[in-house]
Amino acid sequence: MEENEELAPHIEDINRALNEKLSEEQIEEELRTYTDRYGVPLGSAKRSIVKKYEGDPQDLYVSTEKAIDDIGGDEQGLNLKCRIVSINEKEIEVDDEPKQIWYGILGDDTGTIPFTLWEAKPIELEKGDTVKIENAYANTWNDEPQVNIGSKASVKEIENDEVPQFERETQKLDLADIRENMQNLDVTARVTSIERKMVNTQDDEEKELFSGIMADETGKAQFSAWHDFGMEEGDVLRVKGGYVRSWRGIPQYSFDETAEVEFLDDEELPPAEELDEVSVYSISDLAKRGGAVDAIVDAVMIDIKSGSGLIFRCPECRRVVQKGACRVHGKVDGEADLRVKGILDDGTGALTVIINRELTEDILGYDLEEAMEKAKDEMNQSVIQDALEEKLIAQPLRVKGNITSDEYGLMLVADEVEYKTIDVEEEARKMLDEVRV
Amino acid sequence: MSMINREVAWRVFAREFNDSTLEMEGTEERSPSYLVTPLGAKINRIYTVGVLTERENIGDPEEPMWRARVTDPTGTFFVSAGQYQPEVATTLGHMEPPLFVAVVGKSSTYQPDEDTFLTSIRAEMIKEVTEEQRDQWIIEAATSLKERLEVAIEASKMDEVSVEELVDLGFDENLAEGFKQANEHYDSLSFDKYERMLEDSLRYVLPEYETQSIEEIQEEKEGEDRRDEELESLVIDVISNLEEEEKLENGVEYERVKEKVMEEEDITEDEFEETVNNLRSDGKLYEPVLGNLKIIG
Repeated sequence: MEENEELAPHIEDINRALNEKLSEEQIEEELRTYTDRYGVPLGSAKRSIVKKYEGDPQDLYVSTEKAIDDIGGDEQGLNLKCRIVSINEKEIEVDDEPKQIWYGILGDDTGTIPFTLWEAKPIELEKGDTVKIENAYANTWNDEPQVNIGSKASVKEIENDEVPQFERETQKLDLADIRENMQNLDVTARVTSIERKMVNTQDDEEKELFSGIMADETGKAQFSAWHDFGMEEGDVLRVKGGYVRSWRGIPQYSFDETAEVEFLDDEELPPAEELDEVSVYSISDLAKRGGAVDAIVDAVMIDIKSGSGLIFRCPECRRVVQKGACRVHGKVDGEADLRVKGILDDGTGALTVIINRELTEDILGYDLEEAMEKAKDEMNQSVIQDALEEKLIAQPLRVKGNITSDEYGLMLVADEVEYKTIDVEEEARKMLDEVRV
Repeated sequence: MSMINREVAWRVFAREFNDSTLEMEGTEERSPSYLVTPLGAKINRIYTVGVLTERENIGDPEEPMWRARVTDPTGTFFVSAGQYQPEVATTLGHMEPPLFVAVVGKSSTYQPDEDTFLTSIRAEMIKEVTEEQRDQWIIEAATSLKERLEVAIEASKMDEVSVEELVDLGFDENLAEGFKQANEHYDSLSFDKYERMLEDSLRYVLPEYETQSIEEIQEEKEGEDRRDEELESLVIDVISNLEEEEKLENGVEYERVKEKVMEEEDITEDEFEETVNNLRSDGKLYEPVLGNLKIIG
């Protein structure tokens, strides 16, 4: 079990708490009986020994930190010395009240683990800080252990050298497989678009951000580079040491100056047009992923929701006006618009699709003005929705766009919509051949 | 993140749907119930495209309750739409079979007695579509069936069906779970039947295997309608001739009419009975005294 060297500070700790009532040898023997023979965790063993000899466990000073790699599942009274690998803010709703929480990744020389900080930050925490966390708890979420820092826990900043420097082995990963909160990844991809922006950080500092889309043979992802690596559209890169953050379910590959960016030969990956072909997802995969950028979905439109076709929007907030009134701004002169809000279903799952005015005009074969004429002639606004139902329902479609998720499920905002033609004969022959084998 | 996931619309052939006898109630409040097919499709919602062959309002004009039959290459879906689906009921009311239709709806079951388990679709949407759309649906349903068969074949190699092992083999967890539940409920599952069904339905869309076009279905139906009309006028003729010849005031005995009609035409007893029933419900015949048939008007 524990080596002498590792037990020594705890023996000293107990000795101090008991005012040297026992000899170090006696303490060591007690400690080994508890931990080795009875398998009591070190922290509980220390408390029990101090109590047994009428000391106060509050006087114990050296806490029993757990190595991150040893955190299994449900654990209470968790103490850790670790470094903050990443930290992000998030607003959630508790009893209808907005509440600020923080989440990210903790690491030590044995591994890394996601964490959530549920209470107002006890200290200002930043990425790279070395901290001592006491009385946290662990549970599992999506089969992965994670650390929760609740109201009973404390977080103290400690000296940097109290946690050894660690470098984690990077994980080679395809873009199709990236998920929220992953870190230390090794990704090889082609930059298919990039733009430079100035953004304000939490500390009100202006920072340069290079963001865009990268693609490999499995899929695409948005990226955010917080450092000027001199990347350009078309470059094939290997980025080691990035992490994944999510925006409304869309995983984003993020990296900063600590990442290692290597420019590779162009032949390492197929050209951009070819990479574009691969991002066809099943809806069940999208649900598991939480979202995707610039993705293609092949599915059938099985429902068109009310509020599709010819609609009127509030000039103030763009909300759809119902019976001449906006939910927020009351009676307004609504501005006409065209859209489709429908359900796409591919047999593996379903999502809500939003089709904008321009694409809706393409589907209808006439523009907004003509749609308004038709509605006026018929004295009925819903004739346009009827026309869209006629054209779209039960129709296999290929839709491309960004897919996000929230508590209402997946939503695809269409950039392109086309009728999908299936070569029935060819498909049938292919399947018959497979079945006969 | 907890998401409200809309229930997926399964593409399942009528035969597999109608073979189902396992219903799983949702475990939590308001969670949906599923019809689990013999191959483990857990159906809450279904999407099908087929031929609308019959529709009938078993309610009244005020509160219609439409029942319809929609056939695919393997069998017939029983579809219903009532007051809770007013738009579907209206649309269905205006449809003249035969037609290619697409239907989205919820699976529904009815157990009139212990040995009978009836399945149907409570329609949420019905729309006339083209033959091409029907053929595309057959491909989708076949793809879906093929995947469930692959799960079944892999699972049959296991001593005990393990969801985990199936997922490791690359199958969707929901499919694997569904198959395990099905496997515990249905005894001695015959995959052969569904393999044949898969092949037959794929051949159905190939040009070398003749399938009925909607025109042929129409012709066949018209042929049947013609024969119905012929039989009806034959029955009327027989009765009116006898009434005239024998100056009968209270109609002609049922058995005599039957005998005479069967002499003149190659017709079964059932066909005769059906023809008489049709004439009676159309208000062309009545029974002045028990067992006698008389023409109205």
